[in-house]
Amino acid sequence: MADTDFQRQALQHIDALYNFAVYLTRNPPEADDLVQETYLRAFRFSHRFQPGTHLRAWLFQILRNTFLTFYRLRERETAIAEDGVPDWDVPMFHDTSTDEGGALEAHTDLERAMRRLPEEFRTVLLLAEVEGMPLEEVARVMACPVGTVKSRIFRAKERLRGLLKDYEKK
Amino acid sequence: MSDELRGPDDEALGRRLASELPRYTAPARLRVSIVDAADHPARRPVWLAPLIAAAATALALVLFLIPVLPRIEPADPVQQVVRAVVNEHSRALMWGARQPQILPAGLPWLTQETGIDLRRAFAGDDRLSLVAAEPVYLTRQRGLAVHYRDVDGHLVSYIMLPAERSFAMSERDRVQIDGRFKPMLKRDSGFVTWVWKQGDVACFLVSDMVSQDDLERFKDYFVRVRVATEPTIAY
Repeated sequence: MADTDFQRQALQHIDALYNFAVYLTRNPPEADDLVQETYLRAFRFSHRFQPGTHLRAWLFQILRNTFLTFYRLRERETAIAEDGVPDWDVPMFHDTSTDEGGALEAHTDLERAMRRLPEEFRTVLLLAEVEGMPLEEVARVMACPVGTVKSRIFRAKERLRGLLKDYEKK
Repeated sequence: MSDELRGPDDEALGRRLASELPRYTAPARLRVSIVDAADHPARRPVWLAPLIAAAATALALVLFLIPVLPRIEPADPVQQVVRAVVNEHSRALMWGARQPQILPAGLPWLTQETGIDLRRAFAGDDRLSLVAAEPVYLTRQRGLAVHYRDVDGHLVSYIMLPAERSFAMSERDRVQIDGRFKPMLKRDSGFVTWVWKQGDVACFLVSDMVSQDDLERFKDYFVRVRVATEPTIAY
């Protein structure tokens, strides 16, 4: 059980976590559940958090790991779907269809292009560019070396530019 | 962000991402539900951990003590001896007699070794042929075993032991045979055993003839052995 002070500090990052969760799940109700699960895990394991280290990075790390856990689970389930075609819009936590489940609609080309990026590229851009996290923190969240983060950012932007060009042509 | 790979295009794209990408704010109810859930966590009952620890300790003790725990023996003394007799029969079935003797030639030596004298001995006939006779040691007693094989290949062991006081033949499991005899019929480990007393000697005739047809023949074998044998305690 987390103490009140830890809870208060952790909840300061709820908006950033929620934004990240929406871009990962592409579905606000899913994002709700993902953020809630993230906080419950964080509170349950608050004794493992080392004061003085970056709480924000720790929370993002939990959120991403939680997402990947469910994402992989869903990936396995969809892999054995009857038609053999993975359906990435199947909700992670809910049984509702995407239409009823409030799937997020993209309003801009930039948002649309971001959605088409692979998760590791999307995550690295969201953390480094949108949240303004130092590369060291991004590396911690993604559990990879800083060099890998740099190269992922480079490749993610390259891919993003290509997608944006395609949208402009259309 | 400091990045040596970053060029003017990269910087512009980074700024664009930070400024143009819509930001989603957490709904107020989400914050409330998180605080609620944190304040009322699903707690384990306080007694669960000690209970699991106690159960684990008990299980570990049982596992540790299994080798030294006494084996479960039948409460009935007759059944205990029957089990030992069946074990001896099984041993003979697999590896034969350890000190095979021929009847009646080996009788003096067998009597000397076992303390059981056969005034009359069954040395086989047209249905049962003698395999061997040998001394045995069962339930802490010396005894005499005589093995026969019938025409169908069944091994039939006739085992004699001194009858202890506790060896009481109850009326249960008795079977009337030939109008003259009423031995007990005991079953153990897939074998059948006729049990009877002759004077101070407890007698057992054991075989694997468990089916109904075989049992009828086994009754006949019992009569053949019973009428032709007269065991007594020699000393």
